[in-house]
Parts: sequence; C-alpha cells; structure tokens
Amino acid sequence: MPFPNVRLSNRPLHFIYLCDCSGSMAAQGKMQALNQAIRQSLPGMAEVARENPEARVLVRALRFADRADWHVQEPTPVQQLQWRDLEAGGITAMGEALERLAGVLQSPPMEERALPPVLVLISDGQPTDDFETGLATLMRQPWAQKAVRLAIALGHDADLEVLQQFIGPEPPGGGRSPRRPLQASNATSLARYIQWASTAVVGAASMPASRVQEQGDSNVNIPLPDLPPTLLDPTDDVGPLVW
Amino acid sequence: MSGLLPEGASLRFTGLDQPLRIHRALGGGTQGEVYAVDCGGEPLALKWYLPACLERDPQLPRRLRQSIALGAPSADFLWPLALLEPTAESRPLIRHPRAGFGYLMALRPPGYVGAHRHAGGELEISLQNVLRASFRLADGFHQLHLKGLCYKDISLGNLFLEPGSGRVLICDNDNVDIDGQGGGSVLGTPGFMAPEVLLGQAKPSASSDLFSLAVLIFRLLTRHDPFRGRRELAIRCLDEPARRRLYGEEALFIFDPTDAGNRPDPTEHAAALVTWPIYPRPLQQLFEQCFGPGLHQPQQRPLTGQWTQALSRCLDQRQICPQCGQETFPDPAAPGPCWHCGAPLPRPLQLQLPQGRISAAAGNELLPHHWDALAPLALEHPLARLVSHPDNPGVLGLQNLSAEPWQGQLTNGQTIALDPGKTCNLAALQQLHSGAGPITVLRP
Repeated sequence: MPFPNVRLSNRPLHFIYLCDCSGSMAAQGKMQALNQAIRQSLPGMAEVARENPEARVLVRALRFADRADWHVQEPTPVQQLQWRDLEAGGITAMGEALERLAGVLQSPPMEERALPPVLVLISDGQPTDDFETGLATLMRQPWAQKAVRLAIALGHDADLEVLQQFIGPEPPGGGRSPRRPLQASNATSLARYIQWASTAVVGAASMPASRVQEQGDSNVNIPLPDLPPTLLDPTDDVGPLVW
Repeated sequence: MSGLLPEGASLRFTGLDQPLRIHRALGGGTQGEVYAVDCGGEPLALKWYLPACLERDPQLPRRLRQSIALGAPSADFLWPLALLEPTAESRPLIRHPRAGFGYLMALRPPGYVGAHRHAGGELEISLQNVLRASFRLADGFHQLHLKGLCYKDISLGNLFLEPGSGRVLICDNDNVDIDGQGGGSVLGTPGFMAPEVLLGQAKPSASSDLFSLAVLIFRLLTRHDPFRGRRELAIRCLDEPARRRLYGEEALFIFDPTDAGNRPDPTEHAAALVTWPIYPRPLQQLFEQCFGPGLHQPQQRPLTGQWTQALSRCLDQRQICPQCGQETFPDPAAPGPCWHCGAPLPRPLQLQLPQGRISAAAGNELLPHHWDALAPLALEHPLARLVSHPDNPGVLGLQNLSAEPWQGQLTNGQTIALDPGKTCNLAALQQLHSGAGPITVLRP
C-alpha cells in the first residue's frame, strides 16, 4: 500500500505583473520582447512551483496605458497559464494600475493566510497620471507592505525614481541590487530579469533557500537571491541595439 | 539557458589529464550551474560556481579539497571527486570575465527524484521504502559524523530518493567541513535550521545537523512539518520574521507530550494527524526528545545511531493489516488497532534470530546484523526475504538469498534442504539452520 495520500498544507503565493503598454512600448519591438520574455519564463516558473510543496503559485497580470485593466484577472496556477500577447498604445496610467492592484491586495479578496506576494512592475517611461496617490493607496494595504516589490526599467527613458519609490527605500552603497530598478537595456537582459523574478524570487518567497552569512538583509521580510550574473556577452551593456 | 560554460566544447582544467567535454546544462541556481560532462568516455557531472560565490565564501576551495582527500562517508553521498580550475587556454571560453571554478562528481542516476516531491504528495512510495530512505539518510549522517565532519545545510532540497527501493542520494556536499572549524558562510535552510543557528547564537555543527536531520526524517515520515500546528494559523503572512518565531523564538513541537499549545489543526494540518500514529512509540519518542528537550539543549538531541536503531527496529516489526492490506508497524507483543482501518491487528508470527526478531510480512528482510552483533546496522545484502507465494498471496515463505544451502526442520520433525534462491513455506517450518546461525519460527 502506498504512503497515505496526504501532504503538507500549502499557502497561495500571488505573483502579479504590472506591464506598461503605453505607445512607446510599440517602438523597437519592446512589447514583443516583453511578451516573449514572460512566455519563455513560464516553464521555469512552473518547475519552481512544483519543487515548492509549501506554495501554490498563482499568476495575474495588469496592463496599463490610457487606463489600467486586468490582462490576466483570475489568479491562475502557473502550470495552466497561457500568455496572451499584450498590445501597446496610449499613455502611462501607472497610478491607476497601483490603485487596481491595491483593490486585490485587500482581504478579501486576499486569503486570510498566504505567502508574501511578488509584484513585478515593468515600465519604459514615466507615469502620466497621479502616481503618488496610486502608490499611497497601494501601500496602505498590509499585503502590499509585505510583498516583494521588483521593478524592471526597459530602455533608458524609464523613470527610475518612480520605480524606486514603488520598490521602497534605496539600499545603501552603489551597484546592482534587487532593491533597485533592474535596467534591461536589451531583449536578452529583459528575459534574464523576468526569468530571475519568476524563478529565483518565487523560490525565495515560497520556500526559504539555504541561508549564508553576510547577507546583511536581516531586517527585511524576504531576503532576495543574487541577481543573475552579467555574462560575458558582447551585446551586453553597450547601449541599446534592438531599440 | 545561456550558461557559463560552452555546451559542446572541450575544455582543459588544471589537474586533469584529459579535456572535459561539456555536454549540456542540467540546471542552475544562485550558486552556479551543473553540467553533464564526459571525461575520457566516463559520464560525470560538473558543478561550476559563479565567481561571486568565492567572494562570499573564500573557504569553499579548501573545504572541497579536504572532502576530496577524505573521500565519501558512504555510497549515499554524491561526493566531490576533483576540484577544477580552467587552464589559461580554457579561460577565454568561459562566459564570464572571472572564470570561476568547479568540481566533478558522479551523475545522479536516473530514477532518483527530489525529496520535495514526496513532501508535496506527488510520489507513490511505500511506507517501508520511506522508512528505508530515512534509515539510509540517518546512516549517511552517522558515517559523516564518524569521520569528524558536519554537513551544515541538510534540507528537502539536497536529498533525492528512489521510490522503488528507498535508496537515497545526499547532494550538494560543498558545505561539509570538519566539525567545529569556523570557516564557511552557510547557515542552513530556514525550517530545517537548529534554533540556535536560526537565532544567530551558534554556527552550524554536528549537533545542529542532528536537529536538521530529525526535521528531515519527520518530513519524510509524516509529509508534515514538526512546528506547523495551531500557531501557524495565527500567522497571516508567512515571511522571514514569522518563520523566525515559528522555528526559533517560539518553536513548539506539534506533538509535544507536555504542552498541547501547538497541536495540528484538523483541517489545515490533516497530514500530521493521519501519519503520526503510524509509527511505534520508540520512534515517536526520538522526535519528542529532539524537538522537546533537544530544541534548546543540543546535547539532548538523539544521536544518528539512535535513529538508525529505532528505524531498523520499526522496519523489523512491519506487518500487513489482514483487514485493509495497509503496512503497519506495531509492537508485536501488543499490536493494537490498525492505524488505517482501525481493525484489531493479530499478534504476528515472528522469526527469532541471534540478534533480533522480525515480524513475518512479505517484503521484510533478514540482514547480516540480525545474526552478527558486530555487523553494522545496514539494509544492504539481505540474507533472506519474506515473500508471498506467486499464485497464492496468503501463503508466506522465507527465501534464502545467501549463497549457501540451508537446512530446515518442519513442525512434524521432517527435515528439508533450502537451496540458494529457494523459498520454504513458513506454515510448516520450525527452524532453519543457516550458515550464520539459526532462524526459529515463533508462533503467536
């Protein structure tokens, strides 16, 4: 007779993309690159979800242009997610997107017990609406305060300051940090950051990884994994090639 | 995957006579990447570290060299075989400005799956094989500790199981060090770390290994977590500070015999309530000891040898419930009800050997340590196995797995010969004379 059909109870882990779909995203294939990066990252994300018996990984996506709207509204198990392409056109209603996000992070609809949500904001420009009010509404939600908030800046026109405000206080010192906006200057680095957020970060938020000293992160609620390495790639860090 | 090493290329490393052919990436993590490689026709695995690892953990090459020199504690470890640094002509082929370094190990054979899949309820595995896996894990740590080493970071993530046999592989051995040596930066994995390490009061050691080992055995045997009971329900967001309370500051074993304040919730923690009653008291008591007095007093934790002994005895008293067919592990003298269907279990027929008694149930094995007090406790090389008759599962026999013919004495006084590979029916058997000593049938 097999082992009894029981398992450790798990908690939901909400992973939510906030995708800038303003008109500028149509230029130089940025929108296509983002669609590809997310689509390509899903198998790896599903694998991480499978390896983490303590978590039930549920994905959603918000798009924002003239208005903010759900692109994937239902919290969808990552194994079942089929990514439909986002389309670009309009301005950058980022503040409204944060308000919409705040709406789903209150309990209910949020479960009473969960793992820290992971929120990934991706933008190539500047908010055209009231970002400050949107952020304030969001940050009144306890689940937003507990969330792992990441931001990816696409290209060189992204507003790093507002992205940093979304993430939280800037860490001391210089250099790359997951607590600063991740600057994706080309499609390769965008894909690498999306993959990192959807695998390593999901892993860290769901089942704690092996811990080492000198992480110096003891006052945060989720220690973040190292950023993906900058590989020796001639197309890296020489400025935009694709856009 | 855009890896650090060029797939398909052959690279030379200092200390290796022949080049390594890099076949393909097997996986990557925050530390580095693992590749399937070929070394002069022998398939092996190569772990390649990101240079940032060395910065954070400058002692890593020293530990690996030490482990390579000392050799694997047992066959259950996927142990480092050779430390590799690229030669000058290989360096430009590595896709990182600072090339890094790595080590060679055996490939994980097919059929082994991550222990997290068992914890997640995804594996078909028998209780006997879960107990065997737990035994082998404890025995691996027994051998490791006997060598004066400690592992530091055992968790579900670095254990692999073969569900059909209960064999294990202990992987990621790169934090192994001589016990008590301060070097190394790993602290362990929250949920498995001893409280004194989680709370920053001590460094990982052989005694913190004993705590992590008990957590891992608990998770294998119950598919639940020893500290997730009612207190977890009060936690809304399960993040780092919450885990520090649950596993450190306010840790309380869910089955603590004196403090019922953290019992499993019948709906949220059903797994624990179903699986805990399966196991005999001596095994439960080791958990109560480790997660009770041993929680904050490392010297109170059960030792590896106590785990192997309790697990081996549990395997010896395995019997099948005649009502529902489920595996049970009751005390043969007072079996009580079946944990699964509740039917009263009969007192089993037992086999008396010089060093132990084995309940007669198909699948139970007679091992060298059952005859020889000096033989180490081990599950390998059984000398006999209890088997059902192929056409009539109700008929139970004992199969001679040794290389020698045995003599049997039946209840009617008749003698029989039991050649290697042959099975005799237990119903008529009084005693068997094996080369190593007698096997006597004890009827209830």
